[in-house]
Amino acid sequence: MAAADFQDPCGDVSPQLTVLIVEDEVLIRMLLSEALRQEGYAVVEAATADEALSVLESSSSPDVLITDVRMPGSIDGFELAAYVRRTKPELKVIITSGHASPDLAIGVADASCPSLTTSP
Amino acid sequence: MSQIESETSTGAAEAVLVVDDEVLVRMVIATYLRDCGYRVIEAASPDEAKLVIEHDDEGAISIVLSGVAMPAQGDGFELAQWIRQRRPDLEVVLAGTPARAADAAGDICQRGPMLAKPYEPQVVLDRIRWLLSRRPRPQT
Repeated sequence: MAAADFQDPCGDVSPQLTVLIVEDEVLIRMLLSEALRQEGYAVVEAATADEALSVLESSSSPDVLITDVRMPGSIDGFELAAYVRRTKPELKVIITSGHASPDLAIGVADASCPSLTTSP
Repeated sequence: MSQIESETSTGAAEAVLVVDDEVLVRMVIATYLRDCGYRVIEAASPDEAKLVIEHDDEGAISIVLSGVAMPAQGDGFELAQWIRQRRPDLEVVLAGTPARAADAAGDICQRGPMLAKPYEPQVVLDRIRWLLSRRPRPQT
């Protein structure tokens, strides 16, 4: 797969998709980011939801947000996802967590996010 | 070899670790260096940087570019000293305001003056290329 462009069956070249990864564990963030870059995605990294807000409020326009749930800072992944849902509904959101629990499912439902995956 | 790798033959196989608590600064310089063909690893704090370096078993990281003042996260000087003790093979480039003890930075880095913030990405790139060009080539 080309590093910069995606070729659809019609031959049109699609712009590179950008993924915003929000993960406070640096080694996990690094591994995920590099894996996605190798697949041709542009990746922006944020260590906390607060950093992610700064990115989202800048000129950067990611296509997909992958966020952990529990992170240090003033807001967590659920609140970030809910903010994105309100202000950037076109941004696809994936919530990840290494702590599967019923509370997590409730949080995902509250954030109105369609995708949950467990990490690692 | 891809076009990017052939154009940046001195940097493509080596990784730059960018350390800065200001996400937008980190994002801009990391993107710029990746566009120039470098593999870039990002750390939001000195503690993250140390963790990444400790797990760099392959020795992929060649250069650390670190901000100096990172309130509540530690500072770049302490990180540079830590690196000098544990990984003297790593080149360290510090970036901060000119008021932050350029003499101390020069003593730690031994590779020229500290970069003044805000810095132009091209200045960072030129410094990285210069540092990498001075590294001894591996014996074959």
